[in-house]
Amino acid sequence: MTTPSSASTKIGNVPKSRAAGYPIIESRGDRFRDGVRKWWPYYLMLAPGLIYFMVFHYLPVWEAKLAFEDLRIIGPNIWVGLKHFAQLFTSPAFAQVLWNTLIISAMKIAFVFPLPILLALLINEVRNPRFRRSVQSVIYLPHFLSWVVIAGIFIAALSSSDGAVNDLRDAFGLERRSYMTDAGAIRWVLVWSEAWRSAGWDSLLYFAAIMAIDPALYEAAEMDGATRWQKMRHITLPGIVPTIATLFILNVGLFLHAGFDQVFNLTNDAIRDRIDIIDTYVYRLGIGGGQFSLATAAGLFKGVIGMILMIGAHTLSKRLTGKGVW
Amino acid sequence: MHKLTTSRRALLAGIAALPAATLLPRIAHAASGKVRIVMKDLLTSNPEDVAHIERIQAALAERGHDITLEIVDLPSEGYAEKLNLMLLSGDIPDLIYFQGGDEQISSQGVLRDLNPLIAETEYLADALWPHNEARMANYPYLMYVYPPRTKAPVMRADLLAATGMDAPTDLDGWDVMLRAIPGTALDGTPVTHGIITPNNTAEMDAVFDPAFGVTSTWMKNDAGEWISSRVSDAEREKLRWYASLYADGTLDPEFITSNWEVKEDKFYTGQVGVVMGTAGPVVGIYEAKMAQVNPGAELMLLTPPAGIQAIDVSKESRGFAIPVTTENTDAVMAFLDFIASPEGQFFDRLGFEGTHYTRDGDTLTATDRFGEWYPRFIITDPSVYTPPLSALSPLAQASLDQGVEYFRPDNSFVFPPELAASVDAAESFYRTAVFRFVSGETSVEDDWDAFVDGWMAEGGAEMTDYARTVLG
Repeated sequence: MTTPSSASTKIGNVPKSRAAGYPIIESRGDRFRDGVRKWWPYYLMLAPGLIYFMVFHYLPVWEAKLAFEDLRIIGPNIWVGLKHFAQLFTSPAFAQVLWNTLIISAMKIAFVFPLPILLALLINEVRNPRFRRSVQSVIYLPHFLSWVVIAGIFIAALSSSDGAVNDLRDAFGLERRSYMTDAGAIRWVLVWSEAWRSAGWDSLLYFAAIMAIDPALYEAAEMDGATRWQKMRHITLPGIVPTIATLFILNVGLFLHAGFDQVFNLTNDAIRDRIDIIDTYVYRLGIGGGQFSLATAAGLFKGVIGMILMIGAHTLSKRLTGKGVW
Repeated sequence: MHKLTTSRRALLAGIAALPAATLLPRIAHAASGKVRIVMKDLLTSNPEDVAHIERIQAALAERGHDITLEIVDLPSEGYAEKLNLMLLSGDIPDLIYFQGGDEQISSQGVLRDLNPLIAETEYLADALWPHNEARMANYPYLMYVYPPRTKAPVMRADLLAATGMDAPTDLDGWDVMLRAIPGTALDGTPVTHGIITPNNTAEMDAVFDPAFGVTSTWMKNDAGEWISSRVSDAEREKLRWYASLYADGTLDPEFITSNWEVKEDKFYTGQVGVVMGTAGPVVGIYEAKMAQVNPGAELMLLTPPAGIQAIDVSKESRGFAIPVTTENTDAVMAFLDFIASPEGQFFDRLGFEGTHYTRDGDTLTATDRFGEWYPRFIITDPSVYTPPLSALSPLAQASLDQGVEYFRPDNSFVFPPELAASVDAAESFYRTAVFRFVSGETSVEDDWDAFVDGWMAEGGAEMTDYARTVLG
């Protein structure tokens, strides 16, 4: 609040004309307008992102009502309640598909999630900058390959007749093994192909978090005679816990997204019952068969479960580490 | 440039029909209006597509039709899904090419019964192939006037000669020949496997099903009840044979992870002796690529041991549909009828004069670019029209003729949408079980009954119950 005596002085971003004569109570709207006027180039840069999220993430939430309707091309949709959910949950393959999704997601979280953290810690310990940059460039590359290409690479490398992995087994006197048709091996193929593709790229975030740690902490530790292992354990690792917690919570939120592109490209009839996940099942029945309401019901189911898991993980993380996503 | 001289008779059937076409009364009345066409690979960004549509429009105008044809662009990648989304958003063109996903649309009553419309046409009614007529009797919403897409087995002629055998004509002959291929040297390198079927056994089934008594999708058991051929004794015998081929390496043990590209690569590079190709243009492509990779190598068409798999006539799997929303049904039918006419077929199957062929008096000569042209809309039954130039090699044509010769309608039918999940589950179960039987992971002798029970539990029981209501 300002007084008439101070009207000639600009207080904050309040224009002089508006401050003349009367006390000024700046409303939230005024502050927003003034902010936009002052920071418009930044708002302009923000706009595409906002529009993207509005169009592709918020508006579709309303259209999720399709899960409760029969879609009609001509005339209004017909309200059918939980019919499509019932169809989904009672279909003969759904229990297996849900189980596959949970198992594959859990395996990825258990084995793939820690890899980028480990990789970032190791890269941080490399002292030769040129070597470090080379390693980083090499491990980032798989991220830019599509799953079609990666599937081709893995199928060729794991081929039982002339694949590199089986040639190696041969060299060690081990029996050749058809990994791509082996019901016991195929989920591990998914896990390690995911790790090969994403561990390097995902380590970038952790590496950036490590770079943000105050160097003074390392200097103080060195003066106290800390070893590299002790510095990693007591400074680096605690320094990236908020990043780990945030990414873990976000990963848990996407728990039911077990990797459509990956499974779609790596599956075959021999092991479909082991790796058919909700996404591939819905693609066949919902999208391929034109049953968009069914596909929407499955999407909504995944979204609700994901939200519950994310809130649960956030709450747990807050309690354990004091850090969460908000 | 290769030259293909045609007889005067063929020309009379084709080119000579052009001037006559403008003189004869074609349809009862002139149609008018705009026809919006959505079709895979028909794009305004392709000048030949645009020119083709424009000349059809001009030809229709010469017949007194005031019809404007408009191409609706839709990306070829993921066409079926994008088309469905476009229709569901309310944008419904007048002529729609479906490549799957039509059942959900037709079940809403949005697609028109084409049979009465076709019956009124001058050319289109006669242009249908026998399998088209059977399919449209069962499902009248899609029309796809093309030869049946059967599978034809082919191999290198010099490989057969190297085995020292004659081309097989029965199952025993096939068995001996296939097992003789692995180890037979071709260009100094032994062939590794006798046969490959990509991703699953479907391509082999197409050729070998009848030889084991798998004569239709639904068969009667000893008690006279309808059962799926998937769980029949005949199927069991077939899988027993496949397993024996797999066990000795005659059937490529990596067939399950080999897609069509891998299949072709193994064929061209001499790793596999026999493959099945889609009759017609695809067999022609195999022939050309084989000669390109192995100069002088010639392919030969093999005779299936007991005819080919019965053709699914429950419905067209792709094709054209007319929505009930169109206000210009007459214009759409006039367009389709023109394409089925001799002049329309000449346009649609030969491409453009000067680009795809040249004319010198009575002689048409294909240019180097003739192979780039493909019919956009219709290939009529040959009894109605035979083009003066054929894009197909004699081998490719023979593969088509084989499909026509062995044509037998199947008794499969369309399941209602509420059984879609059961059909999917039962089919997935069957495909996995087939691999396990063939690879020897499970035994056809010991595990067959468990497979039948499992298939029934996974949705086969619901399918069988429904089948018995349909087939009686």
